[in-house]
Amino acid sequence: MRIRNVEYFIREAISSLRHNSLMSLASVSTVALSLLILGLFLVMVLNLNHMASALESQVQISVYLQDNLGDRDVKEVGTRITKLPGVTQVIFVSKDEALVRFKQRLGEQQGILTALGDANPLPNAFEVKVDSPEKVKPVAEAVSQLKGVENAKFGREVVEHLFALTHMVRIFGVVLIVFLALAALFIISNTIRITVFARRKEIGIMKYVGATDSFIRWPFLIEGMILGFGGAFIAVLMLTKSYSLFTEKVYESLAFLPLIPQNPFLTNISIVLLIIGTAIGALGSTISLKRFMKV
Amino acid sequence: MIQMAGVSKIYGNGSVALSDINVNIDKGDFVFVVGPSGAGKSTFIKMIFREVLPTRGGLTVNGKNVSAMLPTEVPYLRRGLGIVFQDFRLLPNKTVYENVAFAMEVVEAPRREIQRRVNFVLDLVGLKHKLRTFPTQLSGGEQQRVAIARAIVNNPLVVIADEPTGNLDPDTSWEIMKIFERINKAGTTIVMATHDKPVVDAMKKRVIAIEKGRIVRDQEGGVYGYED
Repeated sequence: MRIRNVEYFIREAISSLRHNSLMSLASVSTVALSLLILGLFLVMVLNLNHMASALESQVQISVYLQDNLGDRDVKEVGTRITKLPGVTQVIFVSKDEALVRFKQRLGEQQGILTALGDANPLPNAFEVKVDSPEKVKPVAEAVSQLKGVENAKFGREVVEHLFALTHMVRIFGVVLIVFLALAALFIISNTIRITVFARRKEIGIMKYVGATDSFIRWPFLIEGMILGFGGAFIAVLMLTKSYSLFTEKVYESLAFLPLIPQNPFLTNISIVLLIIGTAIGALGSTISLKRFMKV
Repeated sequence: MIQMAGVSKIYGNGSVALSDINVNIDKGDFVFVVGPSGAGKSTFIKMIFREVLPTRGGLTVNGKNVSAMLPTEVPYLRRGLGIVFQDFRLLPNKTVYENVAFAMEVVEAPRREIQRRVNFVLDLVGLKHKLRTFPTQLSGGEQQRVAIARAIVNNPLVVIADEPTGNLDPDTSWEIMKIFERINKAGTTIVMATHDKPVVDAMKKRVIAIEKGRIVRDQEGGVYGYED
């Protein structure tokens, strides 16, 4: 393709956008709205997924040891736990350390512990992490069978509910996003089809004066891409602004909620939406043009 | 320039638009195609620029075999032709200058050449003073003159016109015909379907009369021959 043609195509595309400004505005708004909705759901689903992962990764097994074990027995139990399939981390928490942590957790109320005097009622323990959340239950069961182990605990019900929930969030999220993306493509290609339909005469004239199909296609393709990119750009602006406002508000009041940090998350989402918008614009005009090329 | 040998056109619904047409149009000819409505004039004209493909027979335009032509070759056939329609078919968003230049942009002519040629042909049709006007601001006759300028700007060997004066009053029709005659005198072949009896009768050119899909008369210096 010659440079002069590229210049001509871009000039044509822009002049056509200007002349069909109302239609262009409609297309850009449709793209912007569709992609904004898609983007909002994308951000929501990714955040729910992020929260689910954060919660899942926090699940660990607390192994409490019998009180009468010697140092060697304690070590022996630790080694055995480490050898169990799926175990990634075993941290020993001595009863003294447990007491320190307990006091820290009580904060200003640690006075209540003075009643205990020097006695430490807490057992020695291991904190065990596993490589996947599904292994929490079998590992906990195996550990509780080991000699010298008093019991092994994890929030059984909490974990099971959590898994059911995160599983649902993921499936629902993927289905929703695929559905929304298809809906956006449909709406956008239809809008562009109306733009192209309004100009079918022009396409006919181009064919009568001997324009090749690719020569006719380029300005429309560029126009579609500009419309798609423009719409996506507006959607991105609105989405990033509202997400940063939202995260600020959440950090003020619900700081523990594990939201995905703005960077580079928003940049990535923006790039994805801009690419989707431009691609949908190009695809939409290509699909729409096909019907009017046969003169 | 244009040869039709045993050309027939039967449309998908079975209606026979043309049957066994044998015609030879030479370089520099000025040909009127006449006949009642629905006789097949339009099909005859449209075949030349391959909007309609013949069902049978051989059709050669500018030395190219139109029947055996690939869709990708059609634009190059049309670049050798200038086409003028009854309804002008100008782009309303473009000025007079841009409408004519457009036909040269499409064939990727050099910019300086475009400027030179467009000014030349607009001068030829008498619209040099309306370069920056939009089609909607022009009269019908002026719009048709722009369409003619667009048709000849690429120096075609043949100009094809389908009822070019159908929407114009008699005086304006004459102006348009004078332009066609001038173009023909410069060596361009002209094939024109028309209903314009006074024009055909006065110009004494070759007349091909089509009735019910067949050529019933092909006569040099002919007349219209119908009352309508």
